Amino acid sequence: MTDQTGVIGDVRRGMIPAHVYNDREIFELEKERVFSRAWVFVGHESEIAQPGDYVVRRVLEDSFIVTRDEQGEIRAHFNMCLHRGMQVCRAEVGNASHFRCPYHGWSYRNDGRIVGLPFHKDAYGGEAGFKRKGQRLLPAPNLATYNGMIFLSMDPDAPPLEEFLGDFRFYLDYYTKQSASGIELRGPQRWRVKANWKIGAENFAGDMYHTPQTHTSVVEIGLFREPKAEKRKDGATYWAGAGGGTTYKLPEGDLDERLRYVGYPQEMIERMKEQWSDDQLRVIGDDGFMISAASVYPNLSFVHNWPRVAESDDVLPFVSIRQWQPISEDETEVLSWFAVDAEAPEEFKALSYKAYLMCFGSTGMFEQDDVENWVSLTNTAAGSMARRLLLNSRMGILEDDRPVVPPLGPDAFHGPGEARTGYSEYNQRALLNHWADDLEKPPSKAATLEVGGPGEGAQDAAGRTSANADQISLPAGEAVAQA
Amino acid sequence: MSTDLPVAPASAAVAAITAPESVPAGNPTGTVPRTLSEQSALGGHASRVQRVGRSLPFDDPRHLQAHHWLVDEAWLLDAQAYEDWLDLITEDVHYLMPVRVTTALGAGYDTARGMAHFDEDKYSLSRRVARFLTEHAWTEDPPSRLRHHLSNVRTFQADAPDHLVVESATLLFRNRGDVREGSFVSAGREDLLRLVDGRWKLARRVIMVDDSVMRMQNLAIFL
Ligand code: FES
Ligand SMILES: [Fe+2]
Repeated sequence: MTDQTGVIGDVRRGMIPAHVYNDREIFELEKERVFSRAWVFVGHESEIAQPGDYVVRRVLEDSFIVTRDEQGEIRAHFNMCLHRGMQVCRAEVGNASHFRCPYHGWSYRNDGRIVGLPFHKDAYGGEAGFKRKGQRLLPAPNLATYNGMIFLSMDPDAPPLEEFLGDFRFYLDYYTKQSASGIELRGPQRWRVKANWKIGAENFAGDMYHTPQTHTSVVEIGLFREPKAEKRKDGATYWAGAGGGTTYKLPEGDLDERLRYVGYPQEMIERMKEQWSDDQLRVIGDDGFMISAASVYPNLSFVHNWPRVAESDDVLPFVSIRQWQPISEDETEVLSWFAVDAEAPEEFKALSYKAYLMCFGSTGMFEQDDVENWVSLTNTAAGSMARRLLLNSRMGILEDDRPVVPPLGPDAFHGPGEARTGYSEYNQRALLNHWADDLEKPPSKAATLEVGGPGEGAQDAAGRTSANADQISLPAGEAVAQA
Repeated sequence: MSTDLPVAPASAAVAAITAPESVPAGNPTGTVPRTLSEQSALGGHASRVQRVGRSLPFDDPRHLQAHHWLVDEAWLLDAQAYEDWLDLITEDVHYLMPVRVTTALGAGYDTARGMAHFDEDKYSLSRRVARFLTEHAWTEDPPSRLRHHLSNVRTFQADAPDHLVVESATLLFRNRGDVREGSFVSAGREDLLRLVDGRWKLARRVIMVDDSVMRMQNLAIFL
């Protein structure tokens, strides 16, 4: 593999070799060094609310059954049969107490334990030949949740999720913890775009500069009143921990007035006041900033906007969570969910969903123009000329690295991390600096799992021995996913 | 004469559009949400008129009118003549394109709950059309080359006067620029047409797309 030291050095000084947006070798390196260790979002607890509920989600090529077992515990099983490697579950959503492999019929409880192995005695000589006891579908090396959001890491030694997210958790609450019940997630819409995955992540992290140009049309049709050029530069952009985002500056008013300005009904505002810390409330009420788009490294993004949803001046806020799932150096599968506070009134939920559909997702009028840009950019980054071009990603800093605009002081911005107003690419640089850190770090070798072998039971990729499972034969009449 | 002709059986595809159950049937009161339009989060305002009986013979004037309407519409959509298209749509329209999901055979559903690609009323459709008419809808400037291929049209009587239910298959080919290959969307549709002042208008459309993961960069198109 080509030495990428030059690329990494350029990225660190805010000069981006254009080919990183369409380069096979870079992508191979990202697979090995970014997605092998980062915490990757795979879904939300509300998507698997009942015991047996499951969704099948991927981290790169690895398919996982993300399920709630009969004890209510959330698990992620590598979706590969321990026998000859058939995909155990071929549906993407459902409810099942067991999964039966369609190839030779091995079956597994939804907690992953193997329970059925046809002709165990005849074929293997029973436990003497194949230790069924203690075998389970390979668990994801690491699983953790925050505000109900389920993340996987392929690194068994990954830092705890909360540590990884760091101070970004402060901002995550605005999107995912508007009441004690948190959000419910609907979707995702899924579609593939011929664009590199980093472009969307960078855009959502901090590209307030594109809004007035790319999204002119949605202002012209009266859908959205905010993205005027002068409005965007008044918003604060922040980076904290593993993520960062943009905000809009709201008109004068107190906390309640400002939350009402973006369309929240008073009963939701009351719950926010109970839920959020003083500083979280001050960012809106005192500082006057309302969260908009954000990204968490590497490929998770959020958006919060407040369009009109009918022939009236009223606006309705919505939240979307999306993942830029890499397929290749020039293709990304977008998974875009609609998120809404679980305690919100039903009418609010419906209209917020309408707001989402009009603005983002596969049909969203903002998103339509974003994707057009990203696909064209990726096309253009494929050739040899792109290798001669270092894109300038230094907006907001002078030649000597001093800031064009100083960061906001603690009285002007009550959130953690560093925030500033004005146009800048601080966040795009922060995201790519995380990327550069990972690219520089050689991967550690993952342990392997031996199925039913002579060793001391099964081990997961962390080298940890899995818990012993009792031998249970498949109960008759129970729901079994054959999918 | 034509009643003696063999008629197509109610297929799974028909049922998929109208209801998860096997036989499409009217459910005008809507007490139990059965059709996808009823189940959708934004379909509360939609007409509940449903089909009755088997498909009309192909020489039935009502079928000929419905088919003619669909062919005219396909040409409008290819030409992106969206203002004219909006004129063909009733004020109470429900335009729904559910998100399809892969589920086990016995699951009883194959669309995402509470999520669609399109779940539109006249207002949201009109905003989409208005956006294309600005000079700043970059995703369609330069415009795509579009072709809506229409087939498998069959028409049903409805359980209300001045209405027809029409089913069709559509295959949209969309090509942009000169670098990427074109992309396809294949879908089955069930439309409710209503006679308004002597013209047929679209009062409800359910689009059953055949992809769970769309292979198109965005849906800046209509089906
Ligand atoms: S591959 Fe043989 S039972 Fe799964
Ligand atoms: Fe955008």
